Amino acid sequence: MEFKKVVPVLCAGVALGLGVVACGGSSDKDNAGTPAATATSAATEDTAAQASDVKVAFSAPAADHGWTKAVSDDAKAKAKELGLDMTVNDSATTPAEQADQIETLIQAKPDVLVVLPVDGAPLTPVAQKAMDQGIQVINIDREFSSPSAFHTVIGGDNYGIGVQAGDYFADQLKCKGNVVEIQGIAGISVTEQRTKGFADEIKKRCNGGIKIVAQQPADFAPDKGLSVMENILQKNKSIQAVYTHDDDMGEGVAAAIQNAGRDKEMWMTGAGGSKKVMDQIKKGGLWRATFLYNPAMSADAVYLATLLGSGKGLPGFAAPDIPSRITLAATTVTKDNVAQYEHLGF
Amino acid sequence: MTTTPAASPAKGKLSAGAGIKRIDYQEYALVGVIVLLLVAGGILEGSSFLSKDNLFNVLRQGSVVGVLAIGMTFVIATAGIDLSVGSMVAATGIAGGWLMEHFGAFESAPSLSFIIGALLLGVLLGAVNGAAVSYGKVVPFIATLAMLLIARGLALWISDKTPISLFDLETLRWFGTGEVLTIPSSLIVFLGVAAVGWVLLNRTPYGRYVVAVGGNPEAARIAGVKTNRILFSVYVLSGICAGIAAILLCGRLASASPVAGQLYELDAIAAVVIGGTSLAGGRATVVGTVLGVITFAIVFNLLTLMDLAVEIQQITKGGIILAAVLLQRRSN
Repeated sequence: MEFKKVVPVLCAGVALGLGVVACGGSSDKDNAGTPAATATSAATEDTAAQASDVKVAFSAPAADHGWTKAVSDDAKAKAKELGLDMTVNDSATTPAEQADQIETLIQAKPDVLVVLPVDGAPLTPVAQKAMDQGIQVINIDREFSSPSAFHTVIGGDNYGIGVQAGDYFADQLKCKGNVVEIQGIAGISVTEQRTKGFADEIKKRCNGGIKIVAQQPADFAPDKGLSVMENILQKNKSIQAVYTHDDDMGEGVAAAIQNAGRDKEMWMTGAGGSKKVMDQIKKGGLWRATFLYNPAMSADAVYLATLLGSGKGLPGFAAPDIPSRITLAATTVTKDNVAQYEHLGF
Repeated sequence: MTTTPAASPAKGKLSAGAGIKRIDYQEYALVGVIVLLLVAGGILEGSSFLSKDNLFNVLRQGSVVGVLAIGMTFVIATAGIDLSVGSMVAATGIAGGWLMEHFGAFESAPSLSFIIGALLLGVLLGAVNGAAVSYGKVVPFIATLAMLLIARGLALWISDKTPISLFDLETLRWFGTGEVLTIPSSLIVFLGVAAVGWVLLNRTPYGRYVVAVGGNPEAARIAGVKTNRILFSVYVLSGICAGIAAILLCGRLASASPVAGQLYELDAIAAVVIGGTSLAGGRATVVGTVLGVITFAIVFNLLTLMDLAVEIQQITKGGIILAAVLLQRRSN
């Protein structure tokens, strides 16, 4: 009888406790890094960004993957560095949930709303609503379906990742060999673009010289990458290289290759630019390259938000307003240049 | 008043007897499905499918969900469900990795500390599920749905959302990739768990109580079965199985990932049901579950070997599930 009453209370207590500890933990860490960060920023940032009176709201999907976590962390770090008053919401897992969160965020009438949507199309109406209320919207990565729903969109170049990878494979394999492609989640634009860019480029460069012997999605999950690659290794007895759509997932693929003792037979590449993979590239061996899809784009978005909020253009640009579209380059990171990009690893 | 309970155990016994016969047919039907798949695979993919190497690969891959499915068989036998097993695989793996990293006392045996960490958290999370369902009277679907979220959250929180490398843990990696007389160690663990499950279910009073609680909880209670204790225990069993599955998976993956195990609960539930255990409770078969797991593992392997487009794979997989269940019905 008493158990019935105790259990829910206990659970609630534990849940609350976790929440408090979690919050306490992260703010401690942030505080530790602040003084140094502000000091350097005061020196390096141009005066355009010294606008702490700009009110910014930030919304992103739940930070449950290396990349999305880095997006949130980088945005928060940039806001701290700029001394910005920024409200953050990064727990949504579905478009509907994120739309509700954004509804709440815009009640507080921020000057600028920075959004990495779970998915572009379903969040377009709520972004449009913010714009209609005079709140400027900066759209990160996954583009809204109407250009009137954002002032600026900043993102990586998924097609470019495919093209860069295609070039790298064409060069390294001298247009000859069997290649395996491990894709992300089937049916989303990230996956389609990374696949298409790669296919287009190796066709253009090698015209059928490189053969894609297997092409399977593994949903950006390391354990799925492991199982899928184990099966592919059974079927294909001669593989020269593996193109994977994601660094985290790629680690599962790498485990499958190593477990089979075939890590001398082939090499592989990732995408994203995680610290772990950059370390592996530096060491040499199975991992040869990754193609940057840098989460620091969220920090850039927060910087753009301060410019936008204080009515300034990009420093050094002639236009008095910031550009409406910024696409970051999908740089190829290899052993030769990894030292240059290591600090961007997440 | 007294005649109703007296009558229902008798009725329960009768239907249990009929159930055993039906289950036998279902097991034969599944063996038929597996043979069909093997023949089809041999024709379509030839030696790359039927090689000993690949067949052991199939069974090694199936072992992770297989261990979960054995625990799930007990839960479903009580008319319950455990939606949290996939998240628990991630959480217990991360707990193992965390203990390995943070406990100096175990430094000389990092694999052992991983295994202890994974099993301990499995017991703990399973106990929370069990307490909520049995003593808290929360519907299993909701209690374990809550745990699905809590366990995934714990995995992300403890790991700070980054995978933990287990590359140097030789013993742990043996569980994932090792062999005994060319038989994969994962498969041995899976069959061991299945054997323990079979004995528990078919040769001990505990097994009879589990099935009785699922078939008719009122009658079981009146017959003197401590139903709350039985309910509690099956969720703990499921939690332990999640810990064992995490050991097999992390051993193969050479790392513990907080995003691992997504949707494993559905694979486990499907394998249990296709094997002939009733979702309504009161009827359970460990052998059927093992065959169900093998069926799914073969289908996944074959579809990847054929390098079919994902949309065709999904339609095919759905079709095979439906056909397998229909085939079982017909043979009844």
